[in-house]
Amino acid sequence: MAAEQENKKEEPAAPAKKKKKAGKKLKQKRLVSVIDIGSTAIRLVVAEIVREQEWKTLDRAVRPLSLGRDVFLRGSLSVAAMREAIEILASFQELLQGWKIAPEDVRVIATAAIREAINRDIFLDRVQIRTGFRINVVEGIEENHLTYIAVQHAIEELRPQFSRSSAMILEVGGGSSELMLLKRGRMVGAHNLGIGTLRVEQQLQGSFADNDRVEEFLRENIRVTRDSLNMELRLDKVRYFVAVGGDARIAAEHVGKRETATFSIITRDAFYRFMDELKHRTVEECVRDLKLTWTEAEGLYPALLILRIFLDTTAATQLIVPDVSIREGVLLSFAVDPTHGIRREFRQQVVDSSLGLARRYRFDEAHGQHVAMLALSIFDQLQEEHAMNDHARLLLEVAALLHDAGYFINADAHQKHSQYIVENSEIFGLSGTDLKMVGNAVRFHRGGTPRPARSGFGALRWSQRMIVLKITAILRVADALDRGHVQRIRSVQLERGEEEMVLHCEYTGDISTEQHGLAVKGGMFEEIFGYRVIAR
Amino acid sequence: MTTPERDPFINRELSWIEFNARVLSEAEDSGVPLLERLKFCAIVSNNFDEFFMVRVATVKRQVENGQIGTCPTAMSPRQQLNRIHARCAEVTERMYQVLTEEVLPGMAREGLVRVQPRDWSPEQRDAARAYFREKVQPLLTPIRIGTGDTLSSVRNLALHGAFVLEPLQENQEPWPPREEQRENQHEEQHEKQQAQDPAQQEEELLALVPLPAILERVVYLPERGAQRVAFTFLEELLLEEGGHLFPGYTVRDSCLFRVTRDADLSVDEGRDEDFVEAMEQVLETRARSRPVRLTINNRSQRLRDLLARALGLEPQEVYQSPDPLELNPLMQIAGIAGFDHLRNEPWHPVPSPEIERDEPVWDAVRRRDILLHFPYEAFDPVVRLVRDAARDEDTLALKITLYRVSADSPIVRALEEAATRGKQVTVLVELKARFDEQTNMDLASRLERAGAIVIQGIAHLKVHAKALLVIRRGTGGIERYAYLSTGNYNDRTARLYGDIGIFTAREQITTEMGLFFNAVTGYSVIPGLKKLILAPGSVRPRLLEMIRREALRAENGEKGLIIAKMNSLADPFLIRELYAASRKGVRIMLNVRGICMLVPGVKGVSTGIRVVSIVDRFLEHSRIFYFENGGAGEIYLSSADWMPRNLDRRVELMFPVEDARLRRRIRGFLDAYFRDNTKARELGPDHQWKRASARRGKAGETAPALRAQEELYRHSRERALEGEPENREMFRVRRRNGAGA
Repeated sequence: MAAEQENKKEEPAAPAKKKKKAGKKLKQKRLVSVIDIGSTAIRLVVAEIVREQEWKTLDRAVRPLSLGRDVFLRGSLSVAAMREAIEILASFQELLQGWKIAPEDVRVIATAAIREAINRDIFLDRVQIRTGFRINVVEGIEENHLTYIAVQHAIEELRPQFSRSSAMILEVGGGSSELMLLKRGRMVGAHNLGIGTLRVEQQLQGSFADNDRVEEFLRENIRVTRDSLNMELRLDKVRYFVAVGGDARIAAEHVGKRETATFSIITRDAFYRFMDELKHRTVEECVRDLKLTWTEAEGLYPALLILRIFLDTTAATQLIVPDVSIREGVLLSFAVDPTHGIRREFRQQVVDSSLGLARRYRFDEAHGQHVAMLALSIFDQLQEEHAMNDHARLLLEVAALLHDAGYFINADAHQKHSQYIVENSEIFGLSGTDLKMVGNAVRFHRGGTPRPARSGFGALRWSQRMIVLKITAILRVADALDRGHVQRIRSVQLERGEEEMVLHCEYTGDISTEQHGLAVKGGMFEEIFGYRVIAR
Repeated sequence: MTTPERDPFINRELSWIEFNARVLSEAEDSGVPLLERLKFCAIVSNNFDEFFMVRVATVKRQVENGQIGTCPTAMSPRQQLNRIHARCAEVTERMYQVLTEEVLPGMAREGLVRVQPRDWSPEQRDAARAYFREKVQPLLTPIRIGTGDTLSSVRNLALHGAFVLEPLQENQEPWPPREEQRENQHEEQHEKQQAQDPAQQEEELLALVPLPAILERVVYLPERGAQRVAFTFLEELLLEEGGHLFPGYTVRDSCLFRVTRDADLSVDEGRDEDFVEAMEQVLETRARSRPVRLTINNRSQRLRDLLARALGLEPQEVYQSPDPLELNPLMQIAGIAGFDHLRNEPWHPVPSPEIERDEPVWDAVRRRDILLHFPYEAFDPVVRLVRDAARDEDTLALKITLYRVSADSPIVRALEEAATRGKQVTVLVELKARFDEQTNMDLASRLERAGAIVIQGIAHLKVHAKALLVIRRGTGGIERYAYLSTGNYNDRTARLYGDIGIFTAREQITTEMGLFFNAVTGYSVIPGLKKLILAPGSVRPRLLEMIRREALRAENGEKGLIIAKMNSLADPFLIRELYAASRKGVRIMLNVRGICMLVPGVKGVSTGIRVVSIVDRFLEHSRIFYFENGGAGEIYLSSADWMPRNLDRRVELMFPVEDARLRRRIRGFLDAYFRDNTKARELGPDHQWKRASARRGKAGETAPALRAQEELYRHSRERALEGEPENREMFRVRRRNGAGA
């Protein structure tokens, strides 16, 4: 997400102005398009934004292309696949010309297949030269986020139910699967699992021949994942199972019941029966009987099987199948005003997901939450000095929650363990870069100076390194203010002096431990913001 | 119950011949004006040409390849071929009989006189000779034919003169050319004779003279009397004066003939890169492909045998007839200025009352769906929609399928204009539209030059669907307008063909039209559609489903009713479904203009089925399918007939009529066809078509004469004059309760 927002800023100002002018004449009705380069197909959607959060799909196109097969088997895109992908994108470009959509209103995203291709840069470059499309390669966990906002939009009606019990959202793709766990509507886990229909094929050496073998293989694989998920959420308490993706939609079309304009329901029994019917059918028969394309038919059974194995771990009696995909998520993410509720809720889900992670590592929740509260309070009061945006604030909050997660491994050098945990986990809504930034902040929350040569700090861009330094400085102060882990200081009020920043603390008891801590940990703050910091 | 294998069927080709016989019976109908009868003769003859080129050629190929054939009547290809020729010979004979004994003499009485050479006055003969020498002779190129020649130079359907020549004695030259030229020719001919087959006796030569297509086939002759017109045919002139083409020879024998060749050649679909070139090669091959019929006038039995042998044709494949051999030129005579009393009273198309003259068509379409009924209503709104879009600043894109368009089509001109003005214009031109291939190739390159995206068809499938979509950016957002039709977007045929077109702005339909175009443009795989039904793939299963639904309702004691109107019913699979539905008590009313392989009224099979055909002044062309659906009647329109070719090998659209108002109107059209007792013919269980008028005269039936096309014309006129009944305002009348109705 961070990367995307920065890209926007870097765009020259002139076209933006022009767009505004055009926008004025045509008023609010904006046309947007999303092209999604997936593992089994390239898809396009054109939509008209009717009003906030509401759009009308005007046009669709899909061309099957098995990019994933190349990449998952051989690691790179073949010349032929690349050529065909470019040919398809060029034809989509022609299609879009008919709609006269402004180039800035076209988003081209690519998922697992391109993400994992060794030669992806060559592909991205050739596409840009040939079609002008700049492809945004979506990171695994970002896919999760996009799927989530699309799902949330589609099943708006179910929100009250979701807020009372547990839910699992699962999208099975060709190269990877997105899984999200919600407890009373709040995100407790989000994962981009390396399970996908094409990967199964790869791992079974390219044969789907025996569906029993596929099932055995998948069950074995998923068991490990399931156990680890159980730590985040008791899966057997999950009441709502949301199945996203084309395969689920095919099932819904045949055995489901349309619930609203945006989602259908399949009962568990109907789903099982449908799978039993499919089990002994060949791909050819699926193409003929279900009127599918070859690519759709090929991946259908393994995809439903993955859904089923997860469904079996839950207590859900039905599958909720929303009519959405990552494309709608992209539509929402760039067609929606950032101050809108959907964004606020997104922030909450990021925080919930971080909390879920921290809990897995048995963190001192009272301390973590308290440091986060103090850090955000300082952040907000220092706005003039640091000039950072909401996203940096979110990273600070995540860092504050997770800074001591490393205790789980060992108290010694726990900051290093914390960094490791953060950078090797998945937090809903945060990109890999985001995780690196948070990782560096927790790495240096106790002391030491981040230097380009250390801990991956140098891999960040300058602007990102500056954010890391600033949030680390604030995090150190906030952590010092709860050095005793007993939450003595309830709140702080900043007062700027000439050379010093006085933190007026509201507290009970004795805060000498915290004051001492501050004296030890305040150095970085002084270096960065130019104030010596004192607690009173 | 009969087993499906024993279900009765009529052979497809024989059924088609009966259709042409029905057209002929219009020519035989003395109630039809003379020049219209003349036209019907020309149509019958022209129909036969295509029938032989395509259908007979196919059956003949089956015979030669020893194929079993696919006819559900279990007739072998050989049996079919024999019966085809037998019946075609009968119908052709009837055609010449009515032409030469009734129509031409009738025309002569009215002052439109065909004068045969033997009846030429000296003045006429002089004029004819002068015309031949000055205008015709320079364009003729005789070809020498040797023994063993298979006449491969004789192009498909081209009219030829054949001359048997014998060298003259020196002193017998009838028309001596200049001295030195004669010498040369003598030498040349001497050489040629040396090279000739020794078997050829009496030093005779055979020469063929093709008549170039650019020459007018009707030659007007001087005639005294202001109200009279005399004409003769170019080919008669050729036979009369042809001797002059062969100085030094005398014409021993002569005749006229045409060869019909196999035109059912398909292009190599594998050649994507150079498909246009491949297509051109097919057209070239078609001109010289294997012969299937020889038509020859009855002047020389010797030449008949000689040509038939050279072409390798069986005796039954030779059709001998009086002149004129080719009836196409009769169309020109039928269109001659004056003589209006010999034609139908004109039925001018009326403007649709639902579209104001001075508003953009889409404003009207936004209000509600609009139906156009051709040729009773004018085609103009379709052209206007395209033209409006071309000139409208807010139009983004125009997408259209073109199958057969008129020469200098206003639609094509408007599309060019739109492309030039920067709209995205996507045109699917079907290069494989039979006999229009060349026109369509030219059309495709013309549109491409204007900047349109031109799709030249789809491999292995013909795109027969008629779809037009306009996309514009209005103030309220994107607006889309679709025009779906049962007939081509052709302003000329829209004056002759009975078709239905519907304008709609319904979102689901226009969105799906967009998806349809994405598929045929190659942007996308074939999408799943909910409203539009696409062939190949979905039309057949949907029809099946709806026929079975009626059957199920009938079984449950509800009313089951299917009314379907189409050009041809030749799909054995669907016919069996109709039989099954009939057995279960569904009433099935079919209006089939052409081929009908179904046999109605057979006990235990099809007693609930009626088949009626209308052949009248307009060519019935619309496909309408009505299903009772337990009272919630559904109507679908389509570009597709119920034939395997349409359902399986063509891209076709079937679409529901969503507007109840339009459904009522269309239901009215359908009813008119079944009430017709003037032009309608009804098919019996004995495979015979009988005029419905026969029924009218029966005792007890005193129904007044009703002619469907006339009724539909009147209906359109009344609507145009009075506006839609719904549009008329009404007073709100106050009455006491209980008083009156």
